[in-house]
Amino acid sequence: MAYITNQDIEDLSVGAALLGTGGGGDPYIGKLMARAALEKYGQVDLLPLDKVPDGMNLVACGAMGAPTILIEKMPSGDEIGLALRTYEKRTGRKVDAIIPFEAGGINSMMPIMLAAEARLPVIDADGMGRAFPQLEMETFNVYGVPASPVALADEQGNAVIVETKDAAKAEFLARGVTIRMGGQSYLVNYGMDGATARRVSVPGTMSLAIGIGRTLREAAAGHRDPLDALISFLRTTHYETARVIASGKVVDVSRREQNGWSVGVVTIEPFDASRRPVTIQIQNENLIAEEDDKVLAIVPDLICVLEADTAMPITTERLRYGQRVNVLGIKVPPIMRTPEALDVFGPAAFGLKKPYAPLEA
Amino acid sequence: MKLTSEQLIDLSVGAAFLGTGGGGDPYVGRLMVQQCLDEGLSVEIVSPEDLDDDMLVIPTAMMGAPTVLVEKIPSGEEAIFSLQRLERHLGRKASATMPIEIGGINSTIPLVVGARLGLPVVDADGMGRAFPFLEMETFGVYGVPGSPLAVSDEDGDCALIEAIDNRQMEWLARAVAIRMGGSAYIAEYAMSGADVKRTAVPNTLTLAIRIGEVLRRARQSHENPIEALIGFLPNTLYRYGRVIFAGKIVDVLRETKAGFAIGRVRIEGIAPFTSAMEIEIQNENLIARVDGKVKAIVPDLICIMNTETAEPITSENLRYGQRVTVIAVSVPEIMRTPKALNVFGPACFGLKEPFIPIEQIG
Repeated sequence: MAYITNQDIEDLSVGAALLGTGGGGDPYIGKLMARAALEKYGQVDLLPLDKVPDGMNLVACGAMGAPTILIEKMPSGDEIGLALRTYEKRTGRKVDAIIPFEAGGINSMMPIMLAAEARLPVIDADGMGRAFPQLEMETFNVYGVPASPVALADEQGNAVIVETKDAAKAEFLARGVTIRMGGQSYLVNYGMDGATARRVSVPGTMSLAIGIGRTLREAAAGHRDPLDALISFLRTTHYETARVIASGKVVDVSRREQNGWSVGVVTIEPFDASRRPVTIQIQNENLIAEEDDKVLAIVPDLICVLEADTAMPITTERLRYGQRVNVLGIKVPPIMRTPEALDVFGPAAFGLKKPYAPLEA
Repeated sequence: MKLTSEQLIDLSVGAAFLGTGGGGDPYVGRLMVQQCLDEGLSVEIVSPEDLDDDMLVIPTAMMGAPTVLVEKIPSGEEAIFSLQRLERHLGRKASATMPIEIGGINSTIPLVVGARLGLPVVDADGMGRAFPFLEMETFGVYGVPGSPLAVSDEDGDCALIEAIDNRQMEWLARAVAIRMGGSAYIAEYAMSGADVKRTAVPNTLTLAIRIGEVLRRARQSHENPIEALIGFLPNTLYRYGRVIFAGKIVDVLRETKAGFAIGRVRIEGIAPFTSAMEIEIQNENLIARVDGKVKAIVPDLICIMNTETAEPITSENLRYGQRVTVIAVSVPEIMRTPKALNVFGPACFGLKEPFIPIEQIG
C-alpha cells in the first residue's frame, strides 16, 4: 500500500486546486495542516478504491463554508477530530478509514489530516470528482448513500449532529449551523461500508490530483510547456479529455458573499482579437464558460482558470484584474455524467438555464 | 394532580399573564393539550418536591417565532421526537418532562409530551415568566448545562447540539430552528430530580392555573379581577404585585429586528394617573417609565391588561385606543440573585438602568 509523502502533499495541493475549478478553498492552509499532522502522527496510507474490503466502515470528511472566510479564520486543527469523535459516539462504531468527499480544494487535505490523527488510511477516491458548493452534490448521494448523520464541529469546541431523511435538507440545516459557527465548520458525514464505497465513489481522484501536481512540477523543472504536459497527462487518466477553451486577460471580476457562498462573474478578454470576451459564472466553483451565448464548457465538466505562464490553477478568491490566463475544460468520468448525477449536480441544480453539453461534443 | 379541561383554560390565561407580553399566544398549545384530553389521555402534574433526586427530567419546548407557529401548526410529534432523540443520546429514559418557560405557549408543549408519552410533567420551569433566549434559564444560572439539545421539525428531521456554553447552544439551535421554517421543537437541560429542586422556579404551572382561576372567578362574581389577582399574589412566590399605571394607549411602535418584535408603547394616564407611561418591548415588556423615571424593570413582570376584562394583552395585540392597566409583579428570589441578573437582568437586554425590585420603587 502506498503512503502519502511530503512531496505528494505539495503536488496534491496543486492538483486539488485545479480539480477545485476555482472553488473548494485554497489548499494552502490545508496543506500546512496536513504536513504538520504527518510530522506529528506519522505516515498515512492511501488505499486504492478497488482494494477496500467489503465490510470496512468508512466516513467522508471535509470543511464546509466559504473559502474566502477560511483564509482569515484559520482552523485550530482540533475541529475535524471532534467531528469524528462526535460521529463515532452517535453511531457507536469505530471508523476504519476516511474517504474524501471532495477531491477539489482544501477538502483534499482535511482527510489526510484526520487520517493521520486517527491513524487510519485514506481511500484514493472521493464523492465529487472535483469541488461542488453543496453537501448533497455527491456521487455518494446520487447512488443512494444517506448523508446523515452529519457531525459538525468548530474551533471553539461546539459540535452538532444533523439527522435528516434527505441530503439536500442536511445541507440546508448544516449550512445554517456553519454560518453561525462563523462561516466555516468541519464535518464528518456519508458513513458507508467498503462495498458501497466501491459502487458510489469517483475512483482514483487523490492520486489523480497528486499526478496533476507532479506533472506541472516536473514540466517546470524540465523547462517544458506545462499546459501541454498537463493535457498529455490527463489523457492517460479516466478524465481523458482536456481542451483550452479560452486564452486571454482577466478584465473584470465581480464577487460577493451571498448565503454563505462566494458568488460572481469573471470576464476574460481573449488575446485573439477576433474572439469575443469569455465570461465564467461562479458559485464557489466555476459553473459555466460562455462566449456570448455559446457555451464553451458547463458543470459538472471542469472549468479551470490557469496562469498563462505556469499553468498553475487560480482559485476564485485570487482572481485579479490583469491576470493572463488559459481556461482549460476537462471532461469528468462517466459516473458523474449519468442522468441521476446530472439531476443532483448538473446545470439546473445551479439555476442555469442551459442544458448539460459534454465538453468533447 | 390530573389536569382538567377547565384548568387548561385557566392555565392558558395565567401563562399569557406570566408571558409579560411575549412567549407566544398559548392558544395553539391549548388546543393540542385539549385534543389529548379528548382522546382520553391524561396530564399528570407532579410537584418538584416529589421527585426522586436521581430521576431524569427532560424539559421540552417550542423554539422560534410564535407568529410562525400560528400558521405552521405542529404535528404534535416534534417535541416527543426531540425528547426521544435526547434519551437515545444520553442512554437513559426520562421519568418526567418539564416546561423551560411558563410564560406563553411553552407552558403547554410539555403537557402534550407528557400526555402522549405517559410521563408526568413537573410543576416548575426555568424562567418563571417568558424570555427570548434559551440561555435565560435559572437552570443554566445555577449550573445545569443546556446541552445536549435536540431540535426537531414536522418532517422528523433533527439536529443534536453539544455547545460549549448555553449562549452558543442558543445561537446554533436558533440557526437550525430558522431553517426548519421558523419554529421547531426542542428537548434540552436534561437534569436530575435533585437539580430540578435546586435550580427550577417551583410551582409555576399551578401558579399559572391559579392566576387564570382567580381572574375567571372574579369576573363570574362581578368583582374587580385585577384587584383579586393582586390580592392573590401574596400567597405565592410572586409575593408582591401592584398597579403601576392605567390609561389609554396613544402610540404603538413595533418593528421586527434580528428576529425579535422590538417596540415601544405609550399610555396616556387616566385619573388618578397623570402624565404618560412608556414601555419598551423586546418580545416581552422590559421596562416601564413615567417621565423618564423607572416604574418597573426586567426580570420583574410588567403585564399590560385590558382594563375592562382584565385579559393580558400580548405585544402583537397592542392597539391605539385600548384602555389598559399595567401591573408590575415581583419575581421569586431565585430570579433576582446577582447570578440570575447576569443572565437575564436589564443589562442583558441593553438597558442602562440597574435592576430595582418593584417593592422598592415609589
